Amino acid sequence: MSIVVSSARTGCSASPQARKEGTGDAHPVPLLCLFAGAVLWLFVALTLGLIDSLKFHNPEFLAGEPYLSYGRVHAAQNTALLYGFGVPVALGLGLWLLCRLGRAALAAPWVVLLGALFWNFALAAGVAAVLCGGRSGYEGFEFPAWCAPLLFVAYILIGVCAFVTFDRRREEKLYPSQWFVIGALFWFPWIFSTAGLLLLAAPARGVLQALIACWCAHNLSGVFLGFAGLASSFYFIPKILGRPLHSHYLAALAFWTIALFGSCGGVPNGAPVPAWIVSLSVVGTGLTIVPLLAVATNFYLTVRRDLEVLDADPTLRFTYVGLMFWLIAGAQQIAGALPGVSAITDFTWFGAARSGLFHNGFFGLTVFGALYYILPRLLGLGPAAWRPGLLKAHFFLAFLGVLITYVSLVSAGVGQGILLSDARNSFADVMRRTMLPLRVSTLGELMILVGTVLFLLNFARILILACRRCRAEAKERA
Amino acid sequence: MNRGPLLFLGLFATMACSWLGFVLGPQLQLGGLTQTNTVVLGDALSQSYPVPEPGDARQGAEVYRANGCAFCHTEMVRPRSLGSDIVQSWGARRSLAEDYLFDQPVMLGSQRIGPDLANVGLRSDTNGILLRLYDPRRIIRGSLMPSYRFLFETRKIGFFPSPDALVLPPPDRPPPGCEVVPRPAARALAAYLMSLRQNGYLFEAPPPGQKTNAVPAVKTAAAK
Amino acid sequence: MNSDPPDKPVNQNGAEPAAGFSTVPIWLVVVFGGAFYWGTLFLSDHAGGFNKDVYEPYQSYEEVLAANPQDPTAKLQAEGRRVFELTCAACHQLSGTGQEGKAPPLAGSEWVLAPGGDRIARVVLNGLTGPISVKGQEWNLAMPPWRDNFSDEQVAAVLTYIRSHFDNKAGPIQPELVKAARAEKHPGPETSAELLRIPVQ
Repeated sequence: MSIVVSSARTGCSASPQARKEGTGDAHPVPLLCLFAGAVLWLFVALTLGLIDSLKFHNPEFLAGEPYLSYGRVHAAQNTALLYGFGVPVALGLGLWLLCRLGRAALAAPWVVLLGALFWNFALAAGVAAVLCGGRSGYEGFEFPAWCAPLLFVAYILIGVCAFVTFDRRREEKLYPSQWFVIGALFWFPWIFSTAGLLLLAAPARGVLQALIACWCAHNLSGVFLGFAGLASSFYFIPKILGRPLHSHYLAALAFWTIALFGSCGGVPNGAPVPAWIVSLSVVGTGLTIVPLLAVATNFYLTVRRDLEVLDADPTLRFTYVGLMFWLIAGAQQIAGALPGVSAITDFTWFGAARSGLFHNGFFGLTVFGALYYILPRLLGLGPAAWRPGLLKAHFFLAFLGVLITYVSLVSAGVGQGILLSDARNSFADVMRRTMLPLRVSTLGELMILVGTVLFLLNFARILILACRRCRAEAKERA
Repeated sequence: MNRGPLLFLGLFATMACSWLGFVLGPQLQLGGLTQTNTVVLGDALSQSYPVPEPGDARQGAEVYRANGCAFCHTEMVRPRSLGSDIVQSWGARRSLAEDYLFDQPVMLGSQRIGPDLANVGLRSDTNGILLRLYDPRRIIRGSLMPSYRFLFETRKIGFFPSPDALVLPPPDRPPPGCEVVPRPAARALAAYLMSLRQNGYLFEAPPPGQKTNAVPAVKTAAAK
Repeated sequence: MNSDPPDKPVNQNGAEPAAGFSTVPIWLVVVFGGAFYWGTLFLSDHAGGFNKDVYEPYQSYEEVLAANPQDPTAKLQAEGRRVFELTCAACHQLSGTGQEGKAPPLAGSEWVLAPGGDRIARVVLNGLTGPISVKGQEWNLAMPPWRDNFSDEQVAAVLTYIRSHFDNKAGPIQPELVKAARAEKHPGPETSAELLRIPVQ
């Protein structure tokens, strides 16, 4: 962090490339803080996830201390992944896209920096509290009650700057990515405040708590992170290919159907709530076939003449693979919501597999693709600043890691479900027989973690390069 | 879709639809649930159901929450048509909203790496639960459950052995002169688990195989 | 569908992406329509009328009601209420509190609550005349006989109803008891003195 601040003090301005492109000047410091913090949190989340995964090989692994027991580590991992990595990187991406597409300067960058730092400190305190046993008890909203308002304030600081930046845009026409970014920025405060008020401040009665927690978690992943990732995909794929996006209307259809149907879902069949709530959830999830097809069609028709080029650029590669993972995860979610299928697959590794595919496969890969594009430009370097060997290794490790984890967990889940439907199989029997694919998934998680470490090394390298360039420029001017 | 205000209006409308369906609607319907007077399975007398947890079970729920037990165990039984829960003997009937009336937080869970616990109070005893917390793999071969030994204390036997001391099989026994005693957190957690039972007869989930209010079908005239 | 976009890349290197304006393909609109139709069918089948008491697998409130175990006195209660509201309430009032000059109260009446129900069965069948003490108060009115208007089941039903409502908590009356009382063929209305001679079970 000190390297970045010192480079700002020596007067490094926005990249020459940005000046040449004549697009908005996104002040580098707050965005770097958001991105760097996010990737470090991802590293923490993946490490905690690996610890949990290793416990399936030896349940006594680190079981002596309460701080590292499975439940607390899993809660901390969830929080770090969603709120440490997911939300800040979505905010950073959103701010960058708003500046670029609106051709406006980032409003009040120091407020954004303050918000980013405040968010990270509040979250660190919250995660520490979770590891000490203070979790709230709601999945997807683990931090204790005192942490939620702090995070909310930090978000508001950043969110208001984003809206002001949007308002100051000089480009009248809105590109689809901007809708997705505004959608995401709008959605988060609703979800977060509902969860904070109705779960922590004045808890709702009985099973309503579980319902609200479920709804909030579903919206946070599917709508908020989905919007953020798609905003990135909608921007980078046409931009780097140099082709226009095939259809504005297909993008609009995808946007509104995700907002309407994607937000209605997440309640498992058989949950202890009246039938109408469960049916609404099933129908909402089922109708998400429309945005899946709309996005798939739109992108296919955009890239079909340049298919061989897709692997040439690292950002394109990460983004289109991430998009494919989004389509697979979405299709699985629809299949898993149907009553016949969910009777077998609910509460097994099936759901965990889809969640991993969405967060690491779709969101993770898409975000990394975006970061590989954005970070050199924020630091005033060209795209060739990345070390190609590390980049390629990161891609393959991440891609294969996600695939291995996903396939092994899906097979574990389906196997578990089918075996459990027979009364002759006791639960212990079933767990013993599905142990192998579960253990294979650890390999996938390790690969994703190593890939992220390679990214961090690459990132550190270009930070150092940027600092050297800054000092050289400062010396030249002196 | 180039105008900011229209975009916000559209987003507000879609968010409001979802919020009404999943937050406000259920609150209006389920927010006013109260106890009912009903029979509890196995008991002929009518009583209030559900009952709020007694004090130590309440504290046990805090231990359950803090240690994230809900990441491996669910606390809901699905109906026969939607899952194999009843087939696996995890409950006599499906779980209903009323069963969770006094729970706070409601920890339904979302994944089963361990069995469902909605009715664990009906099929276990306190000692069994404590032994399972101390050394799960002694009770279930190959179990993935971590052992929660930090909830127990190994200490020197005082004047008399403690009545709470666990009776452990030989490989787990503490050194001679010592005993393993559950800490208050372990006892609270066991009390909470023993309080988990969904055995009240409720209108929404009538037990099968009983004389019902159903109108008998009218016999149709045989075709000539 | 609009014509395909030009072969040359439209955006020069560095320019921001733009969106083309091709229309939504018709097959996607059909899929949307089909999915929407499936959704409405699913909701009509599985949403249980948006009733808070309907849980899967029941599809309507009536189904849940029908699946619930039968209360043995439910039928008696339902019929008894109907008879009471149509006939008895005119004098004894809907609330069972009776009215000065019309009929004594049934709520808390020791005659109604007496175990066995032989006495009130005869009152309903044969009518009542002359002075009678109810809840410490003297009444002297004339109650008509109802043996020709109602069957044994109906009389048993209405007696069951009054014994379990108006804060009364006494057991049901079976039609057999009423049949036995009717078989006595008591001429004319009952009097208090005659009733008191009938043993209470």
